[in-house]
Amino acid sequence: MYKYSDKDKRIVKKRVEQFRFQVERRLNGDLTEDEFKPLRLMNGLYLQLHAYMLRVAIPYGELSSKQMYKLADIADKYDKGYGHFTTRQNIQFNWPKLTDVPQILLDLSEVEMHAIQTSGNCIRNISSDHFAGICDDEVEDPRPWCEIIRKWSTFHPEFSFLPRKFKIAVTGSSVDRAAIKFHDIGLKIVKQKNDIGFEVFVGGGQGRSPYVAKQINNFVKQKDLLNYLEAILSTYNELGRRDNIYKARIKILVHELGIDKFKELVEFNFLKFKDKRLDLGSKFINQTKEFFNLPNLKIKQSSVSFPGDIDFNNWLMRNVVKHKIKGYSIVLISLKQNGKPPGDATSDQMRKIAAISQEFSFSEIRVTHEQNLVLPHIENSKLLEVWEQLKKSGLATPNLGFISDTICCPGMDYCALATARSIPISNKISEKYKNFNKQNDIGNLKIKISGCINACGHHHVGNIGILGLERNGRESYQLTLGGSADENASIGEILGPSFQEDKLMQAIEKILIVYKENRKNENEDFLKVYRRIGISPFKEGVYDNT
Amino acid sequence: MAKKLKGDFFFLSANDLKEGGMLFYGKNGWTSEFDEAIKIPRNEIEFYEDKCKIYEDNCIIISPTFIEIDENGDVLNLRDKIRINGITIEI
Repeated sequence: MYKYSDKDKRIVKKRVEQFRFQVERRLNGDLTEDEFKPLRLMNGLYLQLHAYMLRVAIPYGELSSKQMYKLADIADKYDKGYGHFTTRQNIQFNWPKLTDVPQILLDLSEVEMHAIQTSGNCIRNISSDHFAGICDDEVEDPRPWCEIIRKWSTFHPEFSFLPRKFKIAVTGSSVDRAAIKFHDIGLKIVKQKNDIGFEVFVGGGQGRSPYVAKQINNFVKQKDLLNYLEAILSTYNELGRRDNIYKARIKILVHELGIDKFKELVEFNFLKFKDKRLDLGSKFINQTKEFFNLPNLKIKQSSVSFPGDIDFNNWLMRNVVKHKIKGYSIVLISLKQNGKPPGDATSDQMRKIAAISQEFSFSEIRVTHEQNLVLPHIENSKLLEVWEQLKKSGLATPNLGFISDTICCPGMDYCALATARSIPISNKISEKYKNFNKQNDIGNLKIKISGCINACGHHHVGNIGILGLERNGRESYQLTLGGSADENASIGEILGPSFQEDKLMQAIEKILIVYKENRKNENEDFLKVYRRIGISPFKEGVYDNT
Repeated sequence: MAKKLKGDFFFLSANDLKEGGMLFYGKNGWTSEFDEAIKIPRNEIEFYEDKCKIYEDNCIIISPTFIEIDENGDVLNLRDKIRINGITIEI
């Protein structure tokens, strides 16, 4: 993984000291809250319903064991003993004191972490495929490109005050595990003849106006990547709306101008930048790639074997994926333990994961955008041992891709913007479908839950999406069906009138009955059935009382 | 602060600037104990808004807000109930 240079270290330390001084000035009254707010936001610090919340960057979702240990220590020392892994592969602490935050940032800097640009109207954490570099279906490892973009975008003087926040995701695979079509810019590494470059998508996003990103260029050469990104951002920075927060994202600009006009403007800017200062030389690209070489994985003959233990077999079936190196597997750790908030890990669990990673996975850990974790390089012969250790810490729930593997925003339990709670809904689903066989019978099904229209829980792209609203002072939940964030991206369609909380589970059950009645065989999952039969049978099944 | 308020009675709450935690305005000033919060009638809102401004300027509180209650002192909306009672889930 990437290692800070001395310059990186100096920059991050300097930033911590700047923030320490800003906090001091805020506390002694030299800065008003209006003056301080943009400064704290650019350092990842929000004020939520009950307390401050600090969002710490995990660049493209990659963590070392050492970093995970540090996060656990921070959770214990400055928070309430847990952290929350987010849909943009970051971690949030929900209870820090303002007076402690400079010290937290200093502690983070010791392990090459920070909270810079995890909030504010700037380019946020670059996210990526959690199987980057270890799956056999990719053209090229996207992580070096994420790092190159991260370097370019951090403290970019022109793009620190964009009309609105800006999110970029990169994948190197034809299977999209990074939801690139729901980012402001999505990059897919592609091969054309013998050249490797980028297919570029722009204007995707969720929130109150969801859009699937549109292709703006089918092949941008590697050397031109930053110039092309610079051209898109410059166009957006100049033309994006600053007068209306709800219309400020690039997706609105792309939609209003049309992709052809937007592309014309970007190409005009690109010609100004092309072959100039941001050209990427092969030396720099190769130097960056060296940080992401695989550890020394010796090819092993051992394959994954299914012994008698049914729980272990279930876990192998759902949470273990083939590694590109023979004899190794990728292990997914579910953070969707029954009864716990999705994405949360206690400090003890973090330490356990760090220790297992140190012993079995070359000290590497990944965070997925679906709020789970990954141990990227586990020798097949060690899978049983890893499972046994994970199980002791409540980290071996065999539910990846199942109905209980929900994405879920913090909702009204934490968030000042939320209009309803989301975590209790996720918990109800986990409880109702906790039986493995019940979930296995349903098959792959992604439920995503947001506590308001801002869609932090990605409800628009849930196969079943749940949006929490407030109606006449009570929580109600609107359902959408058919959303997907993968390579066949789609936005869910609203099923009909919303449900009070006490009727929601019944509605989900009815949806599942319609699905089961209509599926041709056990391999036809929910999304396939939905795409084949459409929404009408589901409407009839849920609302028809005759 | 008071523009969108409905109802006739309120509690006054805010976050502690240094620590972030919930505070309520009571007989003896700001307190973290909800039981000590005083009931504020609508016609006194402006008075308490002015008070808040002083506390904000003195770097004591942040994000003051009025909590809508009924005449018995029961909190009306869910967000405020969660602010007062804490998260509704097991962590």
